[in-house]
Amino acid sequence: MTSPGSAAATDRTALLSVRDLEVRFVTRRATIHAVNGISFDLDPGATLGIVGESGCGKSVSSLAMLGILPQPAGRVKAGQVLLDGRDLVGLSEHDLRQVRGGEIAMIFQDPMTSLNPVLTIGRQITEALRAHLDMDKRAAAEEAVALLDRVGIPDARRRLSDYPHQFSGGMRQRVMIAMAISCRPKVLIADEPTTALDVTIQAQILDLLRTLVDSEGMALILITHDLGVVAGVCERTHVMYAGRFVETGPTTELFARPKHPYTLGLLKSVPRLDERHHRRLEPIGGAPRDMRELPTGCAFAPRCTYATQASWEVLPLLEPTAGGDHRVACHNPVPDAELVAAGLGLGPDADGDAEDDDQWRP
Amino acid sequence: MLRYVALRLLYMVPVLLVLSFVLFAFLRALPGGPAIALLGERATERDLEVLEQRFGLDRPVHEQYFGYMRNLARGDLGVSIRTRRPVREELLDRFPATVELSIGAILVAVLVGVPLGFAAAKRYQGAIDQSSLVASLIGISFPVFFLALLLKYVFAVRLGWLPTIGRIDVRMLTAEHPTGFYLLDGIVTRDWDAFVSAAKHLVLPAIALGTIPLAIITRITRGATLDVVSEDYVRTARAKGLVSSVVNRRHILRNAMLPVVTIVGLQVGLLLTGAILTETVFSWPGMGSWILEAIRFRDYAVLQGGILFFVLVVVLVNLLVDISYAFLNPRIRYR
Amino acid sequence: MSVAEAEARELEIEHVGGGLWRDAWERLRHNKGAIAGAVLLGLFVILAVFAPLIAPYGPNERVAGLAATPPGPTAEHWFGVDEQGRDLLSRVVYGSRLSLLVGVVSVAVGLSFGMLLGATAGYLGGKVDTLIMRIIDIVLSIPGLLFAIALVTLLGRGLVQVMLAVGITTIPVFARLLRGSILAVRESDYVLAARSVGTPGRGLLLRHILPNSVAPVIVAATLAMATAIIDVAGLSFLGLGPAEAGLPEWGAILADNQDRLQASPHLVFFPGFAIVLSVLAINLIGDGLRESIDPKLRA
Repeated sequence: MTSPGSAAATDRTALLSVRDLEVRFVTRRATIHAVNGISFDLDPGATLGIVGESGCGKSVSSLAMLGILPQPAGRVKAGQVLLDGRDLVGLSEHDLRQVRGGEIAMIFQDPMTSLNPVLTIGRQITEALRAHLDMDKRAAAEEAVALLDRVGIPDARRRLSDYPHQFSGGMRQRVMIAMAISCRPKVLIADEPTTALDVTIQAQILDLLRTLVDSEGMALILITHDLGVVAGVCERTHVMYAGRFVETGPTTELFARPKHPYTLGLLKSVPRLDERHHRRLEPIGGAPRDMRELPTGCAFAPRCTYATQASWEVLPLLEPTAGGDHRVACHNPVPDAELVAAGLGLGPDADGDAEDDDQWRP
Repeated sequence: MLRYVALRLLYMVPVLLVLSFVLFAFLRALPGGPAIALLGERATERDLEVLEQRFGLDRPVHEQYFGYMRNLARGDLGVSIRTRRPVREELLDRFPATVELSIGAILVAVLVGVPLGFAAAKRYQGAIDQSSLVASLIGISFPVFFLALLLKYVFAVRLGWLPTIGRIDVRMLTAEHPTGFYLLDGIVTRDWDAFVSAAKHLVLPAIALGTIPLAIITRITRGATLDVVSEDYVRTARAKGLVSSVVNRRHILRNAMLPVVTIVGLQVGLLLTGAILTETVFSWPGMGSWILEAIRFRDYAVLQGGILFFVLVVVLVNLLVDISYAFLNPRIRYR
Repeated sequence: MSVAEAEARELEIEHVGGGLWRDAWERLRHNKGAIAGAVLLGLFVILAVFAPLIAPYGPNERVAGLAATPPGPTAEHWFGVDEQGRDLLSRVVYGSRLSLLVGVVSVAVGLSFGMLLGATAGYLGGKVDTLIMRIIDIVLSIPGLLFAIALVTLLGRGLVQVMLAVGITTIPVFARLLRGSILAVRESDYVLAARSVGTPGRGLLLRHILPNSVAPVIVAATLAMATAIIDVAGLSFLGLGPAEAGLPEWGAILADNQDRLQASPHLVFFPGFAIVLSVLAINLIGDGLRESIDPKLRA
């Protein structure tokens, strides 16, 4: 089950529907245009990957959805975040609290710093349960044991009274996941859940996430800079650059036929194990945009080899490509011939992921 | 943990021994002596000799030292040359007075400083933040004795709200004092008039003595809170949908308290210095004014006993702080 | 810290260019507190330097009769007169000379001995280091004023002895600080790099280690100066200050008159606020310096 990737496409109600979300950071010295109008729909049980470099606004979008932008600088300038048709933007703090952790839960990047060092993990899991499900202490503790069990922490009952520093990085991320799914949220946002972990642990955590999403029927938004990570987990992928989606579509299609030069650049910089001939990894030249001012044209133009006069002057909007549900915001999409030359565009088996094999779901 | 505490206590023994020796030698090296200080410049040779003989000050220094240590082992701290009372007795009078004053000062500092520093950090660069920073800077710029005099002038002399000197109303001095802590005595003996009087006497000295620790604790709390607020686990707590008061208390303040506890421990030694000055202004019959008088009169027994005892207390308090730190911070485990 | 926060913070640090010291100077210039402190301290320096021109009378000049309860401020005597009939304003103005002198000399004493000890300990390391630091730890555990009281009792109560005593109490702070930064810098990559290209030992200390240790020492020196002024006033207040007769030391004026608090509070207030203002000026500068040299330090 996938949903269309752009704002205009649908009028039926999705589980989570983000409409033209804009986020600004206003400090005394500058205004940062972190997110500049993103829209997407998420159906129950759907899995969406949001991919981009650090600072492209992908984490900020998720914080904005939950209303926990860093204060006092961060604010939602415009847009809607509709959860079951109810707009979360401008919701009272009291109502938002019910949503956070209860209906939308989040997993953060660094499990080393995302758990409170002075509280036992039992306490940290049960406080969410007690806040949302109104459980008593005893019941919450039982539930916490069950949750730890489910995320694969051995000897869960005994470990309830341990502190975060007594867990390894991978185990801590499992604790974070247990905490996030504790109140059976409808949407789980995982913000770079594997970035801080060892490669072998990464695969385990991704496996766990995938299993949980399947069994709990949660929708998943996976935020990452690593295309390899979304390939294994997400049905759809949205590529983000300078606070906007530049390319959206089914993951298979996007990997096989990237249309945006930036997506292509990202794919080229991912190492692949299935390579028949060893390809040079190519970094994308230049640095991410200075987000202090909005560009007039395409934000990627300064780093783009395909850029034309129009790229500098006219902001490209997401437009459908030949691939139906596949959309790209680019005046000069990458031609197919180029893809073949780059060793891409060879069909579904040419994905960039090395660590699992069932990534292409029907 | 027990092993750690035992080791720390054991380690104190050589420290105190060395200190007792250094102190003893230092006092004897001071110009002038108790006899001259007590009898005055015009005392005759004969008078001085008699007095020195009586207190054993004519014997060789090492003999005096070993004699003192022998008595110390039996719990005998000697006799004050000025008041002729046993030092132990005086100490038991004076020590509770200073402890009561210091606890009052620390309470003022913590109960005002922690919330203020926290509020300042929560509204970083806001009005509370800016004014608390300025206020704390002014606070540490006040000499304790001047602040004490100022408070005394305004609230005791001008407004007459609070008493000017002493620990309790003179008429109640004869009341029972089973513990020596007058507030506690008031409760124990159910003498509420005495309790109120003792409390009133405590207010100004405690504020005067507590102001500098207050300024320091405010700044430390503010800094620590600023550091903790941007921690990832605070964001996690918010994302869990916790009420903001729970986030503040359980997640932010609890972590921010770690450096504050250390600072409170460090303040204990500094409090005595402040106590000397505060006690002088308010004629507070505590350790500070006791030791100061002893210096003037070269009252060796009082100085030795008083300072050794004081160091012992400081070391013990620091040990307590370290232990409480282990309870607050699970990452610390003493072995 | 999220990406957004990182971005927001990065932008707050203005990029001026021109190295650490110019950055620090730029930040200092925009620090209102530091500016206020510098102006205030400047006023005190002017008072001290031009005391004979500014003060209407000499510090020990009789301008009125003896009085048990001397009168407060009048049009003629702005700060009132004291029990010996001396003009208080003149005494306070001349007193600024003493306080600034005390601050500077004490810190100079502490700084020179402290730096010497700290540099020796930090650079030589080993047993010398252990010995020096042990002693310093012990001294540091004694509250400053108590230590100063002991030293004054030992050395005597002249102005020089008092300054020396207060100066000695600040030695441990500087020694520790310098040793700490030397150890940190000694193991840092750029010094290892310098050593690997064969810069000789002594050159290393002078060229790399010392300049990098200077910043925290300057901050500590400023704050120590404030403490020194307070401590000398405290000693005077306890009757252990400079014993020279008629010295218009603020703490001594205040101490001499604390019994007249009720009838003639001006004798306590004016010297008292002179101490507060001069110390506040120095603290403001020290605080500003600390923030500008290390913007990460917010406590």
